[in-house]
Amino acid sequence: MSVDKNTLHRQFGRLTALLITCLLIVFLLCRPTSGFAQGNSARTLFADNKAGILQIRIIDITSGSKSAIGSGFVVNDNGLIATNYHVVQIAASKPEQYRIEYLSASGAAGSLNLVDVDVVNDLALVKITSQTSSQTSSEIAAVLPLAAAEPAIGVPSYALGNPLDLGLTVVPGTYNGINQTSYHPRVHFTGSLNSGMSGGPTLNQAGEVVGINVSTAGNQVSFLVPVAALQQLVAEQQLRGQSVDNMALRIGQQLLADQEKKFAQLLSLDWPTIALGEASVVNELSPFFRCWGGSNSSSDKAQLLNADRTCRSEDNIYLNEKFNSGVIEHQFFWLETDKLNAPQFYAYYSRLFDDFAPGNKAREKDVGDYQCDTQFVAVNNAEAKPQRKTKAVFCARAYKDYPQLYDVLFLQGTVDDSRAAFISHFTLAGVSRDNAKAYARKFMEVAQWR
Amino acid sequence: MAVIIELLGWGGKRQRYFRVETRSVTIGRGYENDVVLDDAHISPNHLRLDAASEGWQLTDLQSLNGVEIVKNPSSPSAQILGSDSPILIGEGAEIKVGRTRLRILSDNHPVDAAKVLHHLEQDAGKLNRLSIWLPLFLISLGVEIAALYTSSFIEWQWKNVFSTILSTQALLLFLALFWGTMGRFLRGESQFLSHYCLILLAGLAYSLADLLIGILGYNAGTEMIILILSPLNALLILAFLLSANFALATNMMPRQRWISSLGFVMLIIVVSISAQLKGWGEFSPYPDYFSGLEVPALQFASAEPADDFIANFDMIFTEADRLAID
Repeated sequence: MSVDKNTLHRQFGRLTALLITCLLIVFLLCRPTSGFAQGNSARTLFADNKAGILQIRIIDITSGSKSAIGSGFVVNDNGLIATNYHVVQIAASKPEQYRIEYLSASGAAGSLNLVDVDVVNDLALVKITSQTSSQTSSEIAAVLPLAAAEPAIGVPSYALGNPLDLGLTVVPGTYNGINQTSYHPRVHFTGSLNSGMSGGPTLNQAGEVVGINVSTAGNQVSFLVPVAALQQLVAEQQLRGQSVDNMALRIGQQLLADQEKKFAQLLSLDWPTIALGEASVVNELSPFFRCWGGSNSSSDKAQLLNADRTCRSEDNIYLNEKFNSGVIEHQFFWLETDKLNAPQFYAYYSRLFDDFAPGNKAREKDVGDYQCDTQFVAVNNAEAKPQRKTKAVFCARAYKDYPQLYDVLFLQGTVDDSRAAFISHFTLAGVSRDNAKAYARKFMEVAQWR
Repeated sequence: MAVIIELLGWGGKRQRYFRVETRSVTIGRGYENDVVLDDAHISPNHLRLDAASEGWQLTDLQSLNGVEIVKNPSSPSAQILGSDSPILIGEGAEIKVGRTRLRILSDNHPVDAAKVLHHLEQDAGKLNRLSIWLPLFLISLGVEIAALYTSSFIEWQWKNVFSTILSTQALLLFLALFWGTMGRFLRGESQFLSHYCLILLAGLAYSLADLLIGILGYNAGTEMIILILSPLNALLILAFLLSANFALATNMMPRQRWISSLGFVMLIIVVSISAQLKGWGEFSPYPDYFSGLEVPALQFASAEPADDFIANFDMIFTEADRLAID
């Protein structure tokens, strides 16, 4: 027995040694090659493409110095340059205070004109102003080709840009495909994007643009706008052949079209539900909804049960530094008590009912004040007898620059039970009248105390 | 014809008076005088008044501090009387000897007609009894505890509410003391318990009315009712309370009383409006909706179908458009 055991042990040991040797050989064979390949790619890509990548600077006209920087790259022979909308937004909305300039790797500089935007995908096209174009077009003529097909997940890719104004930098990383948790498609890029790289390209090993640097969640989790969105915008621009004159109108149309498409999709769905106390509430509507929940059920000192569920869609549209849109929020509360009497329970309930706010930020120059209506509403539910009586609140504020778009807030709480209550709430940012009404109707049908 | 010498106190109010039947009256600190005054600055024989055809002849009897003529209907300019030159003073003249002010009148000097005793003064005065105050005090204490209890959604602990109850009652006590002191000075009677009872009654009336306004506003579904009626209730009750306090503590006529108390209320309105003016029309990123809730037993208004509620959205949108343009 002991011999057998020893033999077995020895055999196992030999096998392990063999395996380790094999792995070592593979490792030794591959490591220098891949290291060489990556280093070489990055080096070559940087050398080949630096002429096509520009620093985009926002210059404060009064002080004459730069107030923000980003990156951009040349996309066609006409000198059309792609960048992020959020890089040039401030100059677009305040042309009397700011102008856009570029600085190429070779040191050439000049001013830029805003040509077109895709606010939903955070893209902008700018062009060298005509009087400066003749002398510098040759210096920045290196056009970066846009990739025709989406790369496979895991493909090494290289983000270029000007992080923190440190000069043109290349950041190697991995292409991780289109992120499914965002309504507006974003490529998940594993690599460190830093501020200032916004608007710069991410290239594959062939030197083709696969995405436009747009944001980061930190710790190497970064996001790119898929190149398809840029191709679409460039194609539209070529068809038009000239700059868009009324940028606010263009943005308004894009926002309207985007919400129309999004709500058509959401309203056509059969909304999934999940139980919260005795109520049934809306569950994650689509992959880009993220839900969280909590309750105080484990607390002994609590005088009442407070369970909540909050869902938020990840589809923020950047409009300016203090104004964003597009977000959808659902929030539900189930309150129940056997320790508090009716006035005490309602003292808590009304305090909670007072505490609802919009899901997006906005300033006075962007939106009007909220207008609200409060009504007692009977919830029509065939199953529940008798009907539930609720207090419902609806508030809306209008966008100042983009007509027909509103931020809305809906809040409904039951008022016919002394010891339990159900609150349902949603906010929609950047929605049309009809979509807001259709959404409210569907929401009130689905989120109910059964 | 007798002469009346009035000793004046604060604000020219009579503290006591002397009636002397003789034609010549001596005034001083010494006991041989007709009018003996207790003031260290008055000489033992300070002055003498002799009846004349129109008023009195005032002679300074070489007093240390002299006689100051404060008001003299016979010769309007005030003066200090020299030692040896008598002066003629008229009916209603006021003089100052030492630190004491005196008014000289004849006994046929006319007095004001009697004022009607206002029923408010009569009735409010009846509150000055422990047997009325105590039950009121206990009721208001009970109401306050009940209000605290019904609005508390954390575990009820007496120690948490003691300081609130104490500070409310201390405030009420302070107010009653203030009016009591005022009455003691102005009318010579404090009516402390009457004031205390009035303050407690006003507090109870305010609480009850505020509760009713809250229920009314909640059922009407609009905060506007509460925003208008609630301050109106507070100010109206305050005006009544002040008027009653004035009636008990001062000698004001009803009209003066009402003008004073309404004026005070107006002052509060002006101050609070000007304080709110700062935030008037300011943009807020948060919706200002009516969040009030009442228990189901106090909910009377009927509920509308969800479709009607949604049909109203258009009105809100139109209004929101208007707010965005302004």
